[in-house]
Amino acid sequence: MDEFKPLSYETLQVGETFVSDTKLVTPEDVEAYAYAVDDHHPWFAEDSPFGGPIAHPTILANQALHLRHSKYIVRAGLHAKMEFEFLEPIRPGVRARSRGKVIDKYERRGKPYMVTEYVTEAEDGTVLVRGRFTQMLFRD
Amino acid sequence: MSTLAADTAAPGLALPPLVKEISQRKIDVYSGVKPYSIHTDEAWARTKGFRAPLAQAMMSTAYVSELMTRFVGAGFVKGGTMSMVFIKPVYVGDRLTVHGVVKERRAEGRATRVVVEVWCENQDGDKTAAGTASGLLAGGAA
Repeated sequence: MDEFKPLSYETLQVGETFVSDTKLVTPEDVEAYAYAVDDHHPWFAEDSPFGGPIAHPTILANQALHLRHSKYIVRAGLHAKMEFEFLEPIRPGVRARSRGKVIDKYERRGKPYMVTEYVTEAEDGTVLVRGRFTQMLFRD
Repeated sequence: MSTLAADTAAPGLALPPLVKEISQRKIDVYSGVKPYSIHTDEAWARTKGFRAPLAQAMMSTAYVSELMTRFVGAGFVKGGTMSMVFIKPVYVGDRLTVHGVVKERRAEGRATRVVVEVWCENQDGDKTAAGTASGLLAGGAA
């Protein structure tokens, strides 16, 4: 049984690792994402140059961004920076998970930040997306 | 999707901008409705000092991804990169315009990487996010 603690800058450790649950990307997920970001590219519903439909390249970005929720209770935070490398198309039917590591934490102008590096990969180990993000933590 | 424009685009070329209307319903679908969320719980957003619920910054990366996929095509989906800094909150009710200007073309192996300066601007002309994105084009004629 996992235990969850409120996230705080003081207890967060550089080097901490996170693993998400595995997510099956369904055609409905692709459709919902297209609606949410108002991007109805034909490749999401029909054929694509990769053979068959694909999902939006950023469809699993929240899986990565929410990695810290696998250990902590996070009531609010602000996303400060985001970097992606899109390595392989994400296809409906893929089962994917993200793994991340806290590579830095720092304070700037009195505000605490954490930096996480991550990969999102398919069940067969194919790396789909690699990235890094910086999040500002709120102090209660 | 044609990449003809990207194949010949020189630095300085402005991409056709995208316009995005930020509704609470789209934020809800993107972020999932839950209490204690600055995105979907208006009272909590105000408690945290915001005048209204915020769109997730990640939504802006999806908009840039759309801009780049329309421009570069498959070479963004496989081989693309993006680096963004989020400057100002995007609130429910905002209208964002997503811009791109070709910054550089450079050879990368047998392909050409096209680098685009990208940014999002709200209805008041304030930049809410900015950075660069790139994609690969087959062929090495940088």
